[in-house]
Amino acid sequence: MNLSVRKIVISGILGAISILLGVTRLGFIPVPTPAGHATIMHIPAILGGVLEGPVVGLITGAIFGLFSFLQPGAPFFADPLVSVVPRLFIGVVAFLIYYSTKKINNILACILAGAFGSATNTVLVLGMATWRGYLPPEVSISIGVLHGVPELIVAAVLTVILVKGIQRIRSIEE
Amino acid sequence: MELTKNITLGIYLPGETFVHRLDPRTKIIASVILIVLLLFIRSYEAYGIFLIFTAAVIFISGIPPGFALCGLKPMLPVLVLMWIFQLFLYRTPGSDVIFSWWIFSATDTGLHMGNLITLRVLFLFTVTTILTLTTSMVSLTDGLENLLKPLRKIGLPSQELVMTMVIALRFVLILAEELDKIVKAQMARGVAFDRGNFLQKTKKIFPVFLPLFINAFKRAEELIIAMESRSYTGGKGRTKMKTLHLGRVDLAAGLLIFLFSALIVFIIVSIQPQI
Repeated sequence: MNLSVRKIVISGILGAISILLGVTRLGFIPVPTPAGHATIMHIPAILGGVLEGPVVGLITGAIFGLFSFLQPGAPFFADPLVSVVPRLFIGVVAFLIYYSTKKINNILACILAGAFGSATNTVLVLGMATWRGYLPPEVSISIGVLHGVPELIVAAVLTVILVKGIQRIRSIEE
Repeated sequence: MELTKNITLGIYLPGETFVHRLDPRTKIIASVILIVLLLFIRSYEAYGIFLIFTAAVIFISGIPPGFALCGLKPMLPVLVLMWIFQLFLYRTPGSDVIFSWWIFSATDTGLHMGNLITLRVLFLFTVTTILTLTTSMVSLTDGLENLLKPLRKIGLPSQELVMTMVIALRFVLILAEELDKIVKAQMARGVAFDRGNFLQKTKKIFPVFLPLFINAFKRAEELIIAMESRSYTGGKGRTKMKTLHLGRVDLAAGLLIFLFSALIVFIIVSIQPQI
């Protein structure tokens, strides 16, 4: 397998944004629940998948996961099965959804990709955390609803805005 | 609002100490061993020994302890919240209730679990921070590339992946400055980031995100052109001007790490309660 310079650079920079959102806490939106906040740190992985394909999405997700494992924001992320593995799928799912619905409508495809990418993150992370015994199932479900839904909405909106913005800049430059 | 003040990731503090002089490969392997050990530690005795060890490493490497830990500051409120969360929600059959209030009750297993997981988070953070503070980006790259080279044989583009990681780490600080500028520019235009309810606060991230991502993508395009014009082709057939050599310090450090992990493994296997 060969990685082009383009793929290396874009996944690196998107990974950097993920890390940046984590260290500055800007990636956390305060939600009035016991766990404190919803995250938008997974948006770069979704964008990577949508704009550059599954490989970039996968690598960006891996960087995001690795970072949240090594500098965890919540205790159960200190387990690579919870923090790294689920994140690998965010970008890939976003890519698959975007690619299969792109022909219908670009904006709709962005919304769906953002929503499904975000849902992948929520479901897999909480699923893993429950399976590994860090959270009781009923708590996971309530976190999933209280956090997953706002995350999903914010991710869908942000994906549309960012993808459209970046695509416009690109078409101007070309 | 100072966003970039507490970032310690990607910063290198130059020095001439024992830790700085180690081969990057030794440091990377040692950190990986420590991280793996952390995943299995479940007793306070082992954490105590771990604390002494990491404190010693910080002391020897001459990193100001306050600086090493300041990256933790923004994480603290979350850690406390999650600790309380674990305390009240984690329970196994047969655990004793130590404290109860209204519908909430704290159990001893919850307390134990909360403590252990919080400690694990703190130590994971410290280990990675020590590694990046004492190793320059160049030697970190060299070390990682060297260690992951065998993976090329099974078709994994290891050098390229390491390059991606390095770009990510490098750009955290560059983009942090950029983010700072954007936030200040928006504040000058009258956006109050710290006010408003959940919905209003969420809305305010949009005027920060769009310029951040667009600038990041512009930088990416520039970097792509810069790398391509210098004929970057990844790891294939690439040689190094400076090659890595293991020295006597590495042998000493290897021995130390070996003894330390043997001790921890002994505690894990024999003393630690199995949950």
